[in-house]
Order: sequence, then structure tokens, then C-alpha cells
Amino acid sequence: MSKKKSDIVQTKNPKTGHYVKIDRGKGEIISHKKSEGPYKGVPVARKRNK
Amino acid sequence: MTKLGKRVPQVVSEIRYRLTTFLVTNGVPVIDASHTLTGKDFLLKIWNIILSVPLGIAIVDKSMNSSTLSNIFYEVGLMQAYGKETLIIKTKGTKIPSDLVRTEYLEFDETFEGELKKYLYSLLELADHYETLADQLENNPLLAIDFLRRSYLISGDEMLQDKANSIYATYANEAPMLRNINNCVEKLLAAFSVPPLGKKSVVKSI
Repeated sequence: MSKKKSDIVQTKNPKTGHYVKIDRGKGEIISHKKSEGPYKGVPVARKRNK
Repeated sequence: MTKLGKRVPQVVSEIRYRLTTFLVTNGVPVIDASHTLTGKDFLLKIWNIILSVPLGIAIVDKSMNSSTLSNIFYEVGLMQAYGKETLIIKTKGTKIPSDLVRTEYLEFDETFEGELKKYLYSLLELADHYETLADQLENNPLLAIDFLRRSYLISGDEMLQDKANSIYATYANEAPMLRNINNCVEKLLAAFSVPPLGKKSVVKSI
């Protein structure tokens, strides 16, 4: 069964300039993008408001 | 992280002076190993400093002997292993060990302060990135709290402590036996608090 789309998000690491993909359900960083730009079809996570 | 005490190369003294002046002017406190006298083990003091800061700055020059360089690069490696930021400042013609050639460095020249300023701005972006990661990794309390701690060390934002405590409290509620354990890793991690010297954020340097 495929995961709910919102369980997987991505965010850009400002140090490397590459995106990292996160599985929020499992609480894991699942991959680092090697090429430029974001992963297709994966929402970009933003910092939560305090 | 650099040669301390006597017979410090003049160029290293100059870098230290310009670096410290720049950081203090920009509101970044500076700590070095000779900053405090504990009367205890010297290496233990270095470890404690390393754990309490977000960034370590190493200054290397080709005139330094191998034992000094070994100490400096040991500390750089230790900081990297703990997920701390590191920056190497080197003088022209100084070689970096092959394991660290991928580590970004600053060369000491006329653009030194300008490059340093850019680097400090990038650190603040990194603090935001760590906070975003923590928000997304709440289902993994250890990782989330660790990213909050890293972000806090850079920004000094006390709201991050509240977030860490909140994550720990949620976690402890789900695992009631943790409430009575005072030295569980999660609780120790969540207990990060005001850095040494009561400063908002502390950068280890020199």
C-alpha cells in the first residue's frame, strides 16, 4: 500500500543547496537529492509558526 | 582551535585578532580553551566546550608543527562527529589533510571579513533548516530534539527549548516508564539550556 502523500515532504538544505526527503510518519530522513531542484510531486515543508 | 601559548606565528595572532574583533562586533561571543581555568583535565574542558557550541573555527598555518596540527584536526573531526559546524581558516600555501579537503575553508587575505560575514549569514539559514527538520521529525523524538538543540545553539531562540520540552513531554506520556528515569537520552537531550557564560549563542573559536 502506498503512503499518504502528506507523510512524505521535502526541505532544502541551505548548506548543500540540495533537497532532502523526509518520512514524517516514520520520523526519518529517507533520501538526499543529488541533482538541482526539488523532488517532483513532493510538498515542500516550511518552518512551523511559533 | 589553533596554537595557543607562546611562539604563536605572527600571522596566526593577526588572524585571531581580526577574527575576534569581527565576531564580537557582530554580537557573536568567542570562547577558546584558555578562556577559563577549571583546574581539571584539559581535554575534558575541550570536550565540554565543543559540546556547548554550534561552530568551531580552526586556524592553521604552514609554520605549525605536526603535533599542533594533529590537535587541531582531532578537534575539527570531533566537532564534525558531533554534528557541529566547522570552519577552517588557513593562510596561503597551507595544506589541509586529505580527509578534510572537502571541508570548506577560508583563506586569510583581504576578502577575509567579507567572506566571514557571508558564512555567518549562512549559519542563520542553517538554524532555520534544523528547526524545519525538527518540526517534520517529531515522530522521532531523539532526532527532533537534537535538531532543535543544534538550531538553538546557533540562534539562541528560547522558544526552541520549549519545543524540545514539549516533544519530550509528549514522548514521555506515551512511554510512562520514562517519566521516572532521570538520565534517559531523550531527557538529557531535551535539557539543553543556556550556553556557558550566559550568552545567547556561543561560537567556539581559536
